[in-house]
Amino acid sequence: MNRMWSARAVIVGLQQMAPLLRKELLEAWRDRRALLMAVCFSLMFPAALAGGTIFMVKKQSEDVTRLAVIGAERAPLIAEQLRSPGLDVEALAEGSPRALLAGDYDLVLEVTDDFAERYQDFRAPRLYLYVNSSDTGSGRAQRALQERLGALQQMVVAQRLSARGVAPQLLAPWRLETRDVSTPSSRGALILATVPGLLIMTLFIACLATAVDSSAGERERLSLEPLLVQPLAGWQIITAKTLAVASLGWLGSLLAIGALVLLMPLMPLAEFGIQQATTVAGVVAMGLVLLPLALLVAVLQILLALRSQSFKDAQTQLSILQIAPVVLLMVLDMAQIKLADSWQLLPLIGQQQWLKGLLVGDWVSPLWMLAGSAVTLVLVVMAILVGARALQRESLLSAS
Amino acid sequence: MIRVENISKSFAGTPVLRNLSFDVPDGRITALLGANGAGKTSCLRIICGLLKADSGRVLVGDADPALDPMGARRQLGVVGDREGLYERLTVREYLEIFARMQGLGGTALAEALAAVREELELAALWDRRTKGFSQGERMKVSLARALVHRPQHLILDEPTRGLDVLAVRLLRKTLLRLRAAGTTILFSSHVMPEVAELSDRVLVMAAGQVVGAGTPEQLAAETGCSTLEDSFVALAYGQRASAARVEGEPA
Repeated sequence: MNRMWSARAVIVGLQQMAPLLRKELLEAWRDRRALLMAVCFSLMFPAALAGGTIFMVKKQSEDVTRLAVIGAERAPLIAEQLRSPGLDVEALAEGSPRALLAGDYDLVLEVTDDFAERYQDFRAPRLYLYVNSSDTGSGRAQRALQERLGALQQMVVAQRLSARGVAPQLLAPWRLETRDVSTPSSRGALILATVPGLLIMTLFIACLATAVDSSAGERERLSLEPLLVQPLAGWQIITAKTLAVASLGWLGSLLAIGALVLLMPLMPLAEFGIQQATTVAGVVAMGLVLLPLALLVAVLQILLALRSQSFKDAQTQLSILQIAPVVLLMVLDMAQIKLADSWQLLPLIGQQQWLKGLLVGDWVSPLWMLAGSAVTLVLVVMAILVGARALQRESLLSAS
Repeated sequence: MIRVENISKSFAGTPVLRNLSFDVPDGRITALLGANGAGKTSCLRIICGLLKADSGRVLVGDADPALDPMGARRQLGVVGDREGLYERLTVREYLEIFARMQGLGGTALAEALAAVREELELAALWDRRTKGFSQGERMKVSLARALVHRPQHLILDEPTRGLDVLAVRLLRKTLLRLRAAGTTILFSSHVMPEVAELSDRVLVMAAGQVVGAGTPEQLAAETGCSTLEDSFVALAYGQRASAARVEGEPA
């Protein structure tokens, strides 16, 4: 009976709150600055992600080093042995290394005029390798070429020693081989792994301006006191503000999800070995799991902003504070820490895990999603009650 | 009727109100007259339930704002000092939202909105957003918000601050009309001519206490002064300050 009465009281309370909610929504959605910020950031990150992916694929397809060998006829063995799938060798009789590097070539190898003569006499002929170190891609190509030349040199040494009856292994107690285990697929997975963190960051940023405006802004404009003398309880005021702020944050993240889903077919994900498997149900689930988080982010931002003396002060503090959870998510992701299932109960971590799974079409436990969302909602209710108490602080009132 | 009984209030150990008591009768305009820092705003905020008194009791009608804040707020209309409006809302939206918060709806809401629009001459502002309103226009909207639900008790904190003569005249006209309708009106001010002209009864506050009460004429008679200003100085700062002023200035 008592429980029924409480539920009824909450429903009546929510009905009484409706005019205030209308006010908060009108104010939030008419704030062009906040709306622009939410929409721009929401669309910016999927666009940047799509652009980045296309660029990576293009770069990967161009992952062939072009090497010009000037005077190749004086060392035909070298030019011949260097030829390989990742190294496009162009034999040139003559040319200017600078001009060639400025043109189509990544590296230029010059064989000196007396190479053949000194090679025959075992007098260590010189090869000049020209690189442009300001070209960020040249370092990798240079290391690869040096490795190949080193291997070729070892082969010649081994032949010479063998001809003189010396075992070549004596000169090489061990061999070091470097193997790059990164695959196109794992690099692609890294790209998609950043998406949940960015979606959550979108939520934070889309909520920010409205949260500050409806709390610290309202204090600064001296419009909070007329509200506090209305027959509304503190929880009703905080709830109305939370719903309005969360609506904008949620819209931001939904826009980002929509843009991402629309742009994914344009992204050459197959090049990374990723099959786009985001389903309609997955997209709806992504939107739904972000709703409790939007409420939590909104109410926490309002609580923090209420403590600030001015709009600017609140904006600065929140901008700094909101970086922390996003950085935490990214660190957890980059460190590739394997988390137990129960970690999904924690806000942010839960949503990040579910978004990651839904994005690539993996199975995500609905039970964990429901349980984690329930925990987030319980925290929202607790934060609203804390906010209601905060509204009773005498320091909230302006000094007269 | 508003009743204030022995309220005291301190901020960080500094007493602001000391055992303050007074009544505000229905159908009368009562002024709280005091210098800056006399405790007027703190007193009004306690009546509205925005601050809690350290001791003592307040009654707004039959509701104690400390125990039944919602009951008290339903009977109150409040115009604060330098308060802000919602700049992205039109006057109509603003007043409708506050009227609904006070529980109005349907025909009663439409009638209440039409009444304040007429009484406070808001027709020209009605569908304009409040951003950029003059001080006088802001006061009219604030007053409309405080009156839209026809409260029995009206509280105004320094209502004429920064107003031009037309806005002051409209405010005066409105308060006199409300008095005639039996509304309990309490306003704070430190502007003597405004208090002398508007109020039926003056409560002189100094250092968190009421040091004099009565009509401007009664206060003058009590202090032996000819003007309300002299009476106020005599009551708030003592006879010595009053005498010094009288002696130091040419008649």
